[in-house]
Amino acid sequence: MTDSVIHLRGVTKTYRMGKDNIVHALRGADLDVRAGEFVALMGPSGSGKSTMMNVLGCLDVPDTGTYILANEDVASLTDDELAAIRNKHIGFVFQTFNLLPRLNALENVELPLIYGGDRHERRERAQRALESVGLGERIHHRPSELSGGQQQRVAIARALLNDPAMILADEPTGNLDSRSTAEILSIFQRLNDEGKTVVMVTHEQDVAQHAKRIVRMRDGVVAGDEIVEQPLRAEEHLATMVAAS
Amino acid sequence: MKILDSFRSALQSVVVNKLRSALTMLGVIIGVAAVIAMVAVGNGASQSVQSSVLALGSNLVSVTPGSQTDAGLRGAGPTIQTLTLDDMRAIQTQLGPTIKAVDAEQRTGRWQVVYAGQNWNTQVTGVSPDYPIVRDWPLTSGDFFTESDLNIFAQVAVIGAMTSQQLFGEADPVGQTIQFRQVFGTGPFARARIINFRVIGLLDTKGSTFGFSRDDQILVPTTTAQRVLQGQTKTVDTIVVKAASSDTMDATTEDVRNVLLQRHKIAEGATPDFTVTNQNDTLAALSNITATFTLLLGAIGGISLLVGGIGIMNIMLVSVNERTREIGIRKAVGARKMDILTQFLIEAVALTGLGGILGILLGYGITQVVQQIQSGLLVIITIGTVAVAVGVSVAIGVVFGLYPAMRAASLHPIQALRYE
Repeated sequence: MTDSVIHLRGVTKTYRMGKDNIVHALRGADLDVRAGEFVALMGPSGSGKSTMMNVLGCLDVPDTGTYILANEDVASLTDDELAAIRNKHIGFVFQTFNLLPRLNALENVELPLIYGGDRHERRERAQRALESVGLGERIHHRPSELSGGQQQRVAIARALLNDPAMILADEPTGNLDSRSTAEILSIFQRLNDEGKTVVMVTHEQDVAQHAKRIVRMRDGVVAGDEIVEQPLRAEEHLATMVAAS
Repeated sequence: MKILDSFRSALQSVVVNKLRSALTMLGVIIGVAAVIAMVAVGNGASQSVQSSVLALGSNLVSVTPGSQTDAGLRGAGPTIQTLTLDDMRAIQTQLGPTIKAVDAEQRTGRWQVVYAGQNWNTQVTGVSPDYPIVRDWPLTSGDFFTESDLNIFAQVAVIGAMTSQQLFGEADPVGQTIQFRQVFGTGPFARARIINFRVIGLLDTKGSTFGFSRDDQILVPTTTAQRVLQGQTKTVDTIVVKAASSDTMDATTEDVRNVLLQRHKIAEGATPDFTVTNQNDTLAALSNITATFTLLLGAIGGISLLVGGIGIMNIMLVSVNERTREIGIRKAVGARKMDILTQFLIEAVALTGLGGILGILLGYGITQVVQQIQSGLLVIITIGTVAVAVGVSVAIGVVFGLYPAMRAASLHPIQALRYE
């Protein structure tokens, strides 16, 4: 278990929608993710994929079952304790980027350090994170002045800032064109090459093929788990696109 | 999250929504300005009433004829003349060392006064030699009456600064002779009395009390007022006693009462034929009135402040709603409940605090304008008023910001993130 970043056993989650409509989003899901893995989480809508994301991201706690994240049992933590876990161990990347529109790129990246971390090195670390995703120059632009791909790179820089145990990406390329998709995937692959654990929710097969492992969900349980023998390399794809244009 | 970051974020949000922030603040600005201006006017009124009363002399205990304390039918009471010059002398001899001075006054109504063709109509009052001490009113030139002036019904006068101005211009009136004239009857039956008085002193300038100039009057000895001007021999309107100090006023009031009860042969428990009034009581009653007045004005301002606070709450609720996603994002990257709560609270406090400061400036401006328009009006802004105004506006930010902030803090991160 020591090298396991995510250790999920028999996790259930039930939502009550309205008066009589009870949704069993998770019905005993098990999942293990080891450090350094790149996992794509797939499944049709209603499969419990989103709930799984929320539980993995400590945005929600399971009704029953065990969830150990980076050797911390997070299944029964309070809201504030979960917030601290999110701040320290998880870097979120969302489909809709979720940047604060009134802050510039740098300030957006700094955000996790406001809620935990040293004030003095904040700016410097944010700048380094932005450089690591290839956004060294446009750091004083607001999100509305950046392209989708650039916004998502700001979001990745924000996710990286506290050096989290894993990066949790929810359909990170869902709103991007194929070129930006390739760029973002290449960043994930590079981060993974450097040892970062990446869990990515997607419903696109060819995006999932960039991961090293594909976990499929159906009806609230993990229904399939396969190793990708030959993951696609986004950099190569990018190179051919650049050559073609 | 550090307070400094909260402040930065709060100011940013105030600046971004300029128009909205300004309109929201307007409620607080007007409220605080109203409180400041109205309390300033109230304080000013209170101060000017106080100084008006004290301008009549300080530490005074006055005795007037008739009873004001009795219930039932005594409507004609105040017109009964029971006080005499001998009452004053008795007080003087019996209470001598415990009081500072005593004075008996008798108003004689208005007289036409003539000097070298200059005419002036003014109030003539009979007073006794201690008048300048009792009323804290020195002379600028000449001398005041003496006991012997009283004994011989001397036709001498001490005149007020304004009266002197009217009759003598800039010249010194001391030593001059003026004529008092009164006309009886009307038409062909009209007859005039003409009495000569020698001016022996000039009173210092005192200003006005409740809008009446105190410098327009002529003083004559009490006995002269009784005999020569009024044709009676005994009674006086008022006996005014000046206590040794403010602390001894209650004792002096009691002493004066006892002396007069004895002299007037009134049994203990019976209704006296005079009333003793302590100046402290008068001041207390007046300050009670002005305090109520100030409170009323303050309350009017307070209501607008309350309305302003509700405006703050309203706009903060809108702001929380609008920024649900932002709250979700902040929570996703690790903001705790308290972080969100303080952020929105500080934002509300920033709005009201800034509004409070602007309100103080506006309130100050209003008092300046009021003073320009009505120059006699006294307005007083105290540090206390300013502190209370700032404190209250910050408190309003906390009170009315708390509910929206709590709503923001308790949002579930998933629902907040999904909010469109």
